[in-house]
Amino acid sequence: MKILVIEDDAATGAYIADGLREEGHSVDLIASGADGLVQATIGTYDVMVVDRMLPGLDGMSVVKTLRATKNATPVLFLTAMGGVDDRIAGLHAGADDYLVKPFAFGELSARIAAIGRRPKMQDDPISLTVADLDMNLLTRKVTRAGQIIDLLPREFALLEQLMRRKGRVQTRTMLMESVWDIHYDPLTNVVDTHISRLRAKIDKPFGSELIETVRGAGYRINVA
Amino acid sequence: MMPARVLRIRSTPLRLTVILSVIFTATSLACFATTFFLVRANLTAAILSDMQQTVDTFGSTADLAELREHLTEAALTTDPAYRILHFLPDDGAVIANVKRAAPVSGFAVLPGSDFATSDRPLAESYQVRSLRIGDGQLIVAQSRDSIIEMAEVFAAAVLMGLLPAIGIAASAGLWVARRTQQRIGTIQTALSAITSGQTAARVPGVAGRHDDLSGIGQDVNDMAAAQEALLVSMRQVSTDIAHDLKTPIQRVSVLLDQVMTKTDLSAAQETLLLRAKDETACIVRTFQALLQLAQIEGGAARDRLTAVDLTDIARDVVDFLEVDAEARGLILTTDLTSDAIVAGERQLLSQLLVNLIQNAMLHGGDGGSIQVTVSTGPDGVTLVVADRGPGIPEHERSKVLQRLYRLERSRTADGNGLGLALVAAVCTLHRAHLTLADNAPGLAARIDFPKPPSGTGMFAQGPHLPQ
Repeated sequence: MKILVIEDDAATGAYIADGLREEGHSVDLIASGADGLVQATIGTYDVMVVDRMLPGLDGMSVVKTLRATKNATPVLFLTAMGGVDDRIAGLHAGADDYLVKPFAFGELSARIAAIGRRPKMQDDPISLTVADLDMNLLTRKVTRAGQIIDLLPREFALLEQLMRRKGRVQTRTMLMESVWDIHYDPLTNVVDTHISRLRAKIDKPFGSELIETVRGAGYRINVA
Repeated sequence: MMPARVLRIRSTPLRLTVILSVIFTATSLACFATTFFLVRANLTAAILSDMQQTVDTFGSTADLAELREHLTEAALTTDPAYRILHFLPDDGAVIANVKRAAPVSGFAVLPGSDFATSDRPLAESYQVRSLRIGDGQLIVAQSRDSIIEMAEVFAAAVLMGLLPAIGIAASAGLWVARRTQQRIGTIQTALSAITSGQTAARVPGVAGRHDDLSGIGQDVNDMAAAQEALLVSMRQVSTDIAHDLKTPIQRVSVLLDQVMTKTDLSAAQETLLLRAKDETACIVRTFQALLQLAQIEGGAARDRLTAVDLTDIARDVVDFLEVDAEARGLILTTDLTSDAIVAGERQLLSQLLVNLIQNAMLHGGDGGSIQVTVSTGPDGVTLVVADRGPGIPEHERSKVLQRLYRLERSRTADGNGLGLALVAAVCTLHRAHLTLADNAPGLAARIDFPKPPSGTGMFAQGPHLPQ
């Protein structure tokens, strides 16, 4: 993907840019809001990562201006402030996602992937399939290798979230947001417990692991 | 019950108006009454002296024949509506200008109906005197109609003059009171808005006026402006601190990441690096929690309260944490009523519940149970999280709600001492009442949410957000 990073802190900027380049993205790093706005306007990007606090023109104004000119490039806000108010203000300004500093690179990478390749809202699929795992969204029946698996409603929601984004990393916070509607840090690693419960039902009895732990990032259900 | 209610008028201007109206009415009535009784006394004296004169005229006549002549002439010429003469001699015919007179002795006040004429009209009321003159009994009755007319004039004066005056005074007073009340009301509204965190609220319409209320309004506005400036600069400082400190922390964590990607690390080095990363994360979390607390206590989120179902939130949170409780050998049970609607902020209420349940899991002892109850009552919605652990000693219950305060026995446990402070702050934001009580054994954290205000104002559709 082609990514524009607007970040005034040189160390953080380089960290983000280098990490994304290592993942194979093409990255432009800009250090000021005004320059970033110009670059965003003349270039075409798949995703923008914008720091909220920038010298001169701040990140909120950059995104508001872009949205006012009908530029719909997905934006991920980076911020030192992490309150609910800030999240809402950021999303209202037109950002697509919000990440509080300091963050793990895996979290940033997963979120960029999520907003950059938002599945086109086509017809809702009736069923999801990964390898020999099948999920019917209408009957809410889950089978693996033809065997019916009984899942609790929340286990179903968690698996659905992973299967809908198969091949892409879902971080713990992303899963908490989408499955439990929790948009704050609950200071617990309970997502891991939920995942291990799910694994005990869909992976363990079948010998092969579909749900993969991505170190320093989160979980992913693999295509093959 | 009722009089106590009436006496307790809470609006000062209205109360003063009512008191003034009552005083004004009472004074006016007293004036009228005094004047009335004075005038009546005067009129009565005039009637009595007139009557005395008549009696004297007849009494001075010594000759009985002359007396009869006098009386006959007087009876002929005197209008009985003005004065009645009735002479009953011991022998002979009655000399009178009426046909009938009531038997009376001495002084009396009698109605006109006690007398009768053939065709002439009589007065309504008479001052009557009966006395012996010459060889007979003389009754002289003097009309009191002047007094009755005077009373009628007074009644008319009260009716046409005083009542409208009272009415005008009362309505003018009420109008002034209402206006003053409205102005006091705007000051009150602004003050309560300011104290509840809306520091931008001001008392309207104080410019250009120079009375005492405008003065108070202006003072309130000055105070709010100073407070707002202080708050803005304080927020600016905390935002700056957050930014200034978080950026270096971000760098530290970046550097740690970069070191960890090196493959030639020994296991011991990697363990140390992981611990350093954890500590960094811990600094960030405490920092984040402090910033969030400050933000909640700022009260700005109160504008965003919408109708939320506490049972929904509790179900989600319990569903989320249940596996954690099981892993700790605890049982998490629920008793949730449906439609537990409160005016709230979903994320903050969810975080409040997570904090309370986690607190119960951390400090609620081993192998016990944690009960989450949501119930509705006439006064609103009640949330209770109760554990069976050692509880919190009574004298420490208010202290645990302060930030960074931790019980002696909990110092080694997880947590940063901000969990319950956040619970308290979220309660304040929701105008909910938090009580920490003894669950015998254990701790019962009870939160009473007020009934959400009816009407649509509070429940204007909240901001709809992409999740």
